[in-house]
Amino acid sequence: MTHAQAIQAIVARELATVVRTRSYWVLLLGTAVAIFGLALAGGGPEAGYLPTAVDLRLPMELLVPALAVALGYPTIVADARRGELDVFDTYPLPSWGYVFGVYLGRALAMAAFLVIPLTILAGYVATTAETDAALIATHQGADSIALFARFAVLTLLFGFAILAVVLAASALAWSRRSAVVLAVLVFGGVVLGLDLFVLRGFGGELVGTDSLTGALALSPTSAYRGLLFESVLSSAIETDQQYAAPIASVVGLLCWTILSLGVTTVAVTRR
Amino acid sequence: MMTEDNRTNGTGPERSTSPVLEASDVTREFGDVTVLRDVSVGLEPGTLTALVGPNGSGKTTLLRVLCGLLAPSSGEVSYHGPEVSRKIGYVQQQPAFRPEFSVQETIEFYTALVDAEPEEPLDRVGLTAAASRRVDSLSGGMTRLLGVAQATVGDPPVVVMDEPATGLDPGMRRRTFEVARSLASDGAAVLVSSHDMTLVEEYAEHVLVLDGGEVVAADSPGALCAEQEADSLWDGFEDIVEGPADELAVLGVNR
Repeated sequence: MTHAQAIQAIVARELATVVRTRSYWVLLLGTAVAIFGLALAGGGPEAGYLPTAVDLRLPMELLVPALAVALGYPTIVADARRGELDVFDTYPLPSWGYVFGVYLGRALAMAAFLVIPLTILAGYVATTAETDAALIATHQGADSIALFARFAVLTLLFGFAILAVVLAASALAWSRRSAVVLAVLVFGGVVLGLDLFVLRGFGGELVGTDSLTGALALSPTSAYRGLLFESVLSSAIETDQQYAAPIASVVGLLCWTILSLGVTTVAVTRR
Repeated sequence: MMTEDNRTNGTGPERSTSPVLEASDVTREFGDVTVLRDVSVGLEPGTLTALVGPNGSGKTTLLRVLCGLLAPSSGEVSYHGPEVSRKIGYVQQQPAFRPEFSVQETIEFYTALVDAEPEEPLDRVGLTAAASRRVDSLSGGMTRLLGVAQATVGDPPVVVMDEPATGLDPGMRRRTFEVARSLASDGAAVLVSSHDMTLVEEYAEHVLVLDGGEVVAADSPGALCAEQEADSLWDGFEDIVEGPADELAVLGVNR
């Protein structure tokens, strides 16, 4: 028996739990309606992939963390409250394996929740856009489905980072109710507060112009926004100005993910 | 902290009678309260040992320390059994499972963690007929039996059950002890905490009496009765423990 097989069992359990929970189907429907509604309200689909991504950028900064909270907050605290974490301790399943399995399962569910509506939306754009879009943007200002795919991938990367933070909150919580409170604090503090802190630091000259692009990578929301500007939206606007440091932003999101999973593992081990 | 010393092969026809799991001078404190004080016990393969004691005497804490779920403040717990993928099976006091799954799926999940077959654990506790039922539609007794089935997954040499029969009807209580007895007959060292002295006297081969965080008596039910010149284990238990046996013991508070 390898750890990989045990982790696979945990992943399968998480996915099956999501599939069998009626409220998650409602959440999927709500997510799809929100994505379509926001895109249609902005008029982006009729103009092409890039305008659609522009319409969705700001709402996604709130929708994706909300989705991460809904998918992640009950997982570990519920297993702990049922005593299943104690039972897992008697199996050849290390804490990190359990945490990784739960994370992977929920991350796959989150990917489905985002990719399904975005794929359908891309299909809708393909049939309704008034301008022809290429597969790959070949020059500045050109629209392409590849840019929309890049938007989707970066949105997933952002979602995975926030999901990891929410799982840490779930592992640190002592009840389902406290898990909700901590998850809301994650939403307010990490998603919104840190973003405003960096921007306020720039306004108050705590963060200089030279270090702003790097400082933006510290906040998951700013890092996500910076990556979108640099690798998706920049193709629409011709400028020499750099919006963000792409590598620092990717590293920032990965650090949030890895450090949060580390905190989750320590919290599960110490329970 | 649990140490390991795989010096014996605890199961099988030539099994040893030396303890497969041993606690030596274990003390466990929670802040200023000492819940276990210098407890030394050994669990032998093929033996059903019952842990009895008033409420609040430290039974659950001892079981959790033996399972490695709680580290002792001092002393040591050592495992001397065979090197297997799962050494100790554990049933918590109120077993609970994800409600979205059936009995069969639940046990399949646990068996997947140790690469075992799911049929045997359910068959052992008599839940095969309820395999397709959702966990949240099970009665309290059936959920306990599912907990016991879970504890047997992977054939661990040690099985620890925390009051598996509490709150069940007489038939279910007896069924739980029968399962514990059959596990011991198959070579496992089984430790069951219980308040049911009648069933303990009938099924257990060894009884540990815990009172005020200390093991105050340890012997076979017959020998304990003989020592106390009691007609039943219940009468003997009342003589062994300090104060009324049916009263809640609050550790850290003098009776």
